[in-house]
Amino acid sequence: MKHCEAYDRAPWSNQYERPFDPEDVAPGFENLPALIRDASSSWPDQLAFTTCMPNGMNGSLSFGDVEAMSDAFAAYLREELGLEAGTRVAVQMPNCLSFPVAAFGVLKAGCVLVNTNPLYTAPEMRHQFRDSGAEVVVILDMFLDKLEAVIEETPVRHVVVASVAQWFPRVVRGILKGVLRYWNRVIPDTDLTATPINQALRTGRHHLNEKEIDVSRYTSEVGHDSPAVLQYTGGTTGVSKGALLTHGNLLVNMRQLDLISQGYLEPGRDCVLTALPMYHIFAFTVNLLLFYHHGGRNVLVPSPRPIQNCQRAIENYPINWITGVNTLYNALLHEEWFNIYPPRTIKVALAGGTALHQSVSERWLDTVGCPIVEGYGLTESSPLLCFNPINRARPDSIGIPAPGTRVRLVDEAGACVPAGEAGELVARGPQVMSGYWNRPEETEATVKDGWLHTGDIAVMDEDGYFRIVDRKKDMVLVSGFNVYPNEVEDCLATMDAVHEAAVVGVPDPESGEQVWAYVVPRAEALTEADLAAHCKANLAGYKRPRRFIFREELPKTPVGKVLRKELRDEAHRAAAPATAAEELAGQGEG
Amino acid sequence: METEMVSALEERLLAILMVLIMLGMGASLTFKDFRIALRHPQAVGIGFASQYLFMPMIAFGLAQAFQLSGPQTIGLILMGCVPGGTTSNIFAYFSRSVLSLSILMTICSTIAAFFMVPLVMEIYTRDLDESLRIPATNIAAILFILLIPTAIGMWLRKRNANAGAVTELIGGVLGILVILFLLVTWVPRNWQLLIDTHPGVYGSAILLGLCGFLIGYLFSRSLKLDPRKARTVSLETGIQNGPLAILIVWLTFDGVLRDEVTVIPIMYSLFIVINSTIITFFYRARSIREELARDQAKVEPARNTRN
Repeated sequence: MKHCEAYDRAPWSNQYERPFDPEDVAPGFENLPALIRDASSSWPDQLAFTTCMPNGMNGSLSFGDVEAMSDAFAAYLREELGLEAGTRVAVQMPNCLSFPVAAFGVLKAGCVLVNTNPLYTAPEMRHQFRDSGAEVVVILDMFLDKLEAVIEETPVRHVVVASVAQWFPRVVRGILKGVLRYWNRVIPDTDLTATPINQALRTGRHHLNEKEIDVSRYTSEVGHDSPAVLQYTGGTTGVSKGALLTHGNLLVNMRQLDLISQGYLEPGRDCVLTALPMYHIFAFTVNLLLFYHHGGRNVLVPSPRPIQNCQRAIENYPINWITGVNTLYNALLHEEWFNIYPPRTIKVALAGGTALHQSVSERWLDTVGCPIVEGYGLTESSPLLCFNPINRARPDSIGIPAPGTRVRLVDEAGACVPAGEAGELVARGPQVMSGYWNRPEETEATVKDGWLHTGDIAVMDEDGYFRIVDRKKDMVLVSGFNVYPNEVEDCLATMDAVHEAAVVGVPDPESGEQVWAYVVPRAEALTEADLAAHCKANLAGYKRPRRFIFREELPKTPVGKVLRKELRDEAHRAAAPATAAEELAGQGEG
Repeated sequence: METEMVSALEERLLAILMVLIMLGMGASLTFKDFRIALRHPQAVGIGFASQYLFMPMIAFGLAQAFQLSGPQTIGLILMGCVPGGTTSNIFAYFSRSVLSLSILMTICSTIAAFFMVPLVMEIYTRDLDESLRIPATNIAAILFILLIPTAIGMWLRKRNANAGAVTELIGGVLGILVILFLLVTWVPRNWQLLIDTHPGVYGSAILLGLCGFLIGYLFSRSLKLDPRKARTVSLETGIQNGPLAILIVWLTFDGVLRDEVTVIPIMYSLFIVINSTIITFFYRARSIREELARDQAKVEPARNTRN
């Protein structure tokens, strides 16, 4: 533990806007519903959410609307369905107006929100609903058929259904629904009994009036340690498990976000582009909770793919904040409309989720005129752990630990590595989850003595800025040298003819592993020789990819992280076709 | 029994519908889209070439091949010269083509129509009898007047995105409704005329659209556009603004001559709906097949967050 001192004296602490005071990092509110209520009463008539469809059709809800509707939804859950505090309620929707109403309603009812990816397949839904024990699902009509296929095998008792055009002006809603149902045929016919969300709200409102209920009493027992959200994540071990985030975790994390964005958040005046899905922890905490808290307007894009779906949202609204991941920014920068009319009103672009490539960050600064500020965090930490001070973001760095967060870099044995050397980033702070839902072993493997093990390899500079070199499991070992895929990808991405690239390691009998690169070309003329020449000029021999594979696109997670694992599996199969064939033959005989 | 082929009421109704259609077209895009299009001449260029080079040429060739009469030739060539219809945008949407490209091509060809249609008409009809020719100023005036609702539509879009999108849709649907309207009012009254009409007239009215689809596709493929864009150009080239051609004819000619000239634009309009619908289903199937193939190649995000 001799090197821990280098981290524990917090060399980054003089980088904060103001000296760190533990008092600053306090939840501020009793629970999340109290914070929501505070915001709703401060800006009742201002618009809180606007959903913008790819053709510009849109619908909005004011803070007052959201307050009244989520109250009604909470009453529906408690009075009509008879749920108790702590019951899990899954919300499975892309970005749309129903999302905040349902999510806030669940929290106000004192229930636990289970954020669920709407793109899940039926078996994945079954796993998540069973694991979380969700009794109610709020889902979009488009995905009802998948739910129907597995609902019998889950604890789900009630289904509430919404449409993507929910609460749009009547004519627009009719047109959108008609097109989705009759032409695109994406709304399946099912026999599932489901309550339309509007009807649920009517019922809830009826209960509220009838019994003169004060919704805040549902959460009178809910405090900082009470569970608020079950956020599912693959984590490092593969099995999808629910990180249990408490009201305190989320409230403190928002407070930490406040502290680092002082002077940039203007209460009641900001407008944030929410193209990342709110069921993901990044947009959930930052866009949904933080901007609602400060009276900001969320412009919701239901699906940012293709990226052109964001065009009308960016054109039609005075967006001044944007959150995204590397791939989103990269995609925007490759759009003609974005380059010709970049939104000059943007003052802060936040990036997280995955390493931000240097080339993307530079092009963004050139095009939009504001830097992309990179932060770092995990589902398990609500999510923010580290951030770059907004006005002096350091390129290629995740910045410094958020106020109130301790960070160390450790080796395999768990001992601190000397400052300046690479080690696994571990962190502890009030935003770190209390554990995985019903998985004590997994929790123990991830949170050891209160330290969250991130699985990311980082180095610390002298002044306390951290730099992620790569995911532990993505590292490639070539003849004993560590190759960090990020570095090679970044090098490839600096070529104009390269749209994006992903680098993986495959087994090699001589060097242990060799580097392969999957490349999405932007120019058709790009050849392997060009790529090899570029790498030769910029990378040491052992880092250079031995094979280049051209692709139309790369596999990605819903937020747009490149799935290196998929590519690695594929590369492994391709690298050892003979072995694979033998295995198959063997199986056939057996 | 001699009935006037077109009543004054119909003429006025068509003019009003035309204004609404153009309003919808204007509402389909923003000023920014338009400026971007001008900065990016490739799509506009291809649209221009297929619209004002190939279509009139096809029309002229068909008129020669089927040895059409003077009035019929005028009708066919006018049909070939008029800009793309807003209906093409609806078909582009339903066939999963590139909607934005379709809209851009329509709008560019419509604005250019102001000087291109009189010019191209002049070139292809200069050998015809003076009494048959449509005065260039006449065409220009109609097209100019129609630019006003287009501009209002663009303004509406800017003011209110919802109103704009709804207007756009209504404009597109009206384009088809006009044709259905002709089908139920005009066709029964002119049944005899249709029976007497030479098969060559039918042939040329049908082939104009089909050749447009084919040549638009081949032309854009030869310029290395991807299949999806090529399908968009194809639809855009084949689908002309039928109601506009009919309106120009009605506002230019009278009596029997008017009936004769109108035959081809009307027939074209009727058949293009059928042809486009078939092509749309075909293109849609191709698009879906391509999308599926792409999905197969990549791995869907949700499926690999765990194993």
